[in-house]
Parts: sequence; C-alpha cells; structure tokens
Amino acid sequence: MIKIKPVEIKTISQYIYDISGIHLDQNKTYLFETRLSSVAESLGCKSYEELHNKAKADRSKKIERQIIDAISTNETLFFRDKGPFELLQHKLLPEIIDARTPKSPTLKTSIKIWSAAASTGQELYSIAIIIKELIPDLSRFQIKLFGTDISDSAISQASYGKYNKFEIERGLARPQLQKYFTSMGEFWKIRDELRAMVTFRKMNLMLPFTGIGKFDIIFCRNVAIYFTLQDRKKLFNKIADCLADDGFLVIGSTESLTGVCPRFIPKRHLRSIFYQKK
Amino acid sequence: MNKLSILVVDDDPVIRHLLEQRLKKANYTVEVAEDGHIAEKLIQKNPYDIILTDLMMPGEIGGIEVIEIAKEKDNNIEVILITAHSSVDSAVEAMKKGAIDYLEKPINFDELFLRIEKIITVRSLLRNARDIYDAKDATEHAASETIQNLELIAAQLQQRLDVVENELRDEAKGPEARIENALNLIAGM
Repeated sequence: MIKIKPVEIKTISQYIYDISGIHLDQNKTYLFETRLSSVAESLGCKSYEELHNKAKADRSKKIERQIIDAISTNETLFFRDKGPFELLQHKLLPEIIDARTPKSPTLKTSIKIWSAAASTGQELYSIAIIIKELIPDLSRFQIKLFGTDISDSAISQASYGKYNKFEIERGLARPQLQKYFTSMGEFWKIRDELRAMVTFRKMNLMLPFTGIGKFDIIFCRNVAIYFTLQDRKKLFNKIADCLADDGFLVIGSTESLTGVCPRFIPKRHLRSIFYQKK
Repeated sequence: MNKLSILVVDDDPVIRHLLEQRLKKANYTVEVAEDGHIAEKLIQKNPYDIILTDLMMPGEIGGIEVIEIAKEKDNNIEVILITAHSSVDSAVEAMKKGAIDYLEKPINFDELFLRIEKIITVRSLLRNARDIYDAKDATEHAASETIQNLELIAAQLQQRLDVVENELRDEAKGPEARIENALNLIAGM
C-alpha cells in the first residue's frame, strides 16, 4: 500500500471535495490509503501527488470516476433498517395515494419517488417491492422511481440489478427473493417487472438539480453525513425545492435536520421520523 | 468452533470409503451417500456445511442435481465437485450452478484439505462480518432513538420560540404589553 504524506492529504482531500462534495476527515490517513492505494497502483503512480496530477490531466475524466467509485461508500443491503420501509408502506404511500388519486376513474394515479443516494440500487428496489406488495395491480397507476448516485459503477450495477448472495441474504426473506429475483448461480437478478419501474442516473448532489421535476417522496439517507454543514444546508434547501408541498422526506435514522434546514418539520409515525415542508 | 459436517456422495465404493476415512481422521463429521437419490434424502433431513459430490453417477440425480438440491435447501451449503480429468467443461457448469470448487480425479488429499480450509476461513470471515453488522445495527438503533427524540424536542422548542418572537414583534401592541404577553406565553409552555 502506498503511504500518504501529510501534504498530499491536504491536496487530495480538497480534490475529492471539488469533484464529489465528499468531505473526508484529514486525520483519517488510513481512509485515503485503503480507498485510493489500489487506484494509484493500477495507474502506475508512485505517490498520491502523482495520482492527483494524472487525474487532473485526464480529459476523459476516467480517473476522476475511478477515484469517486473508490471513495464513495456503497450500501449493500436490501431493506436496510426496517423503519423507513414500514413507514413508507403504512403511512407515506397510503397518504400519497389518497392525495393523488384523481376523481375521474379514467385517469391514472401518478406518484414520483426519488432515492437521492441510490448506491447500487437496493433502496430503490426495496421501495419497488413494497409498492408491488401494496398495489398488486399497477394498471391504474403511473409510478416513477428515480435513483441517483455519484458513482458511475454503482449506477451501472443498480441499472443491471444483479446482486451476489451476500448482498442479498440480509434483509430479504426467501419468498420475496424468489418472487422478485431470478437465480443465476451465486447471483440473483431483479425481475423485469420491477426493473421496468425504476430509472437510475448519475448525479452529484452538490450541483444544481436541473430537470428532475417534483417528487412526492424523497429518500435521502446516509449521504449528507459525508458533507460539511454548509453543504448539507444547501442540499436540503434544494431538496425542499423539488419536494411537493404535501410530499415526504425520509433521511437516515441517525441523521438530523436541526440547524440544517428550517423549511422542514419532523413528524413521528410509530418508531420512525419523516419530514414535511412547513 | 463446531465440527464441520461433510456429506460425501460417490457411487464408487473405494473412493467413498477413502474420502470418509481421510476426512474422519482429519476430525470432520462425515456421512456418505452412494448415489444422488440417497444424497437428496440426507440433504433434506440433515444440515451439512460441505458436500463433496462426484459429477457422474448412475440414476437421475448426478452431481449437478446434487448442487441444485443443496443450494435450494440452504444457499450456505458449499459444494465441492469431484470430476474426471476429461470433464472440465461440466465442472465449469457446476461452478455456475453454485459449486464453490472442483477437484479432478485422482483426488489429491492435500488439495482437498486446502479447499476445505479455505471454505472455513471464508465462513469465519462472513460470520465476523455479520457480527459487525449486527453490532452496528444495535448501536445505530440506540443512537437513532436518541437523535429522533432530540429532533422532535428541538422542533417543538423552535415552534414555541417562534410564537414568543411573533408576540414580541407585534407592533400593534405597546412594548410592555408585548413583554407581559411573551412572559405569559413562556410561563404557559
């Protein structure tokens, strides 16, 4: 493993912040080394300074993408933390369905949900499974599930929807697994009917949210923790802009919006908290 | 650590016996099946950590089917396939079905024990990972209760502050009345 010099930590962490908004603690030397050493070595770099220079000079941005992939943490569980999904099933979806069902029976109920840090897709597919279980006949619905992440490789895995048995065995019960996935040896692939409900796109949450429209429910879990307070404020302000006035926001169960975004108020349902606009 | 339990499936009595003896000597719990049908019954009845199965066996249940039966019952069962030298293609197919490894005949026991030790290492790593996940979940759960309670309390306090602030800024009233009302509001909270 290539050792990082103190002076390199400063430049590399600034570079990572510039390309991703991820704020890495400069004291965590091991984090830089465990995440970036193999990227540096694979490119034949002897130091992180060399890696930094190579990345900046690379017009194709391939190295930049490799660095983002290496530095971003990919969540690998379906139904990670039951709370938000029970909340979705028993409170948020029923309320949104009520509010969005048109008076005319010929019109469809349109619902848009966004997973802002979709990683490799488990959260969004978990949401899709809940929707399928709650609404067996989707013909009267137009449901759009949108997932974004900063990592290219995470997005492509999410789009493909193929998971190994370790990524799948926690969180998913056997009947759900067999109902919604096809077995491929040691792997499981999401079935087309669920795959068709979702769209994934690469997106940096630090940049303006252009052309994504308004959402009824937004999941933004366990990503803002990697941002500075100032960037967190900007992020949730932009999220408030693209959330419907009666829509719902769900953040990570150990996250807080106190002192971050006064436009949201927390509300409790059973053992979970969700946010609505004031 | 618990003793690893291994099922040996082979229609050749010599190989079956040899495997049984060598594995028992190495202190594993070993059971044997002389064909795929007996193996199926045993797999359904007993929990095994590892299954060592011959690829080609008489009857409808061969090595590939044994893999399917084992994986269907419990995805954590690891299957090592024993193949003749000429059937490497089938071995690749077996790996696709979920076999963890294959051995060519004649069996090299050093190699077999190395494979088994590798499986044990992977299993203990997985168990560690699960334990760490569970510990993380427990910590996260406790932290989230505290944070969520504080979040709601902070929001309530903010709301009260807003009410008091509105009262204090109400220019329709005189300063003394505003202070008086604000104090009453605070006292009533």
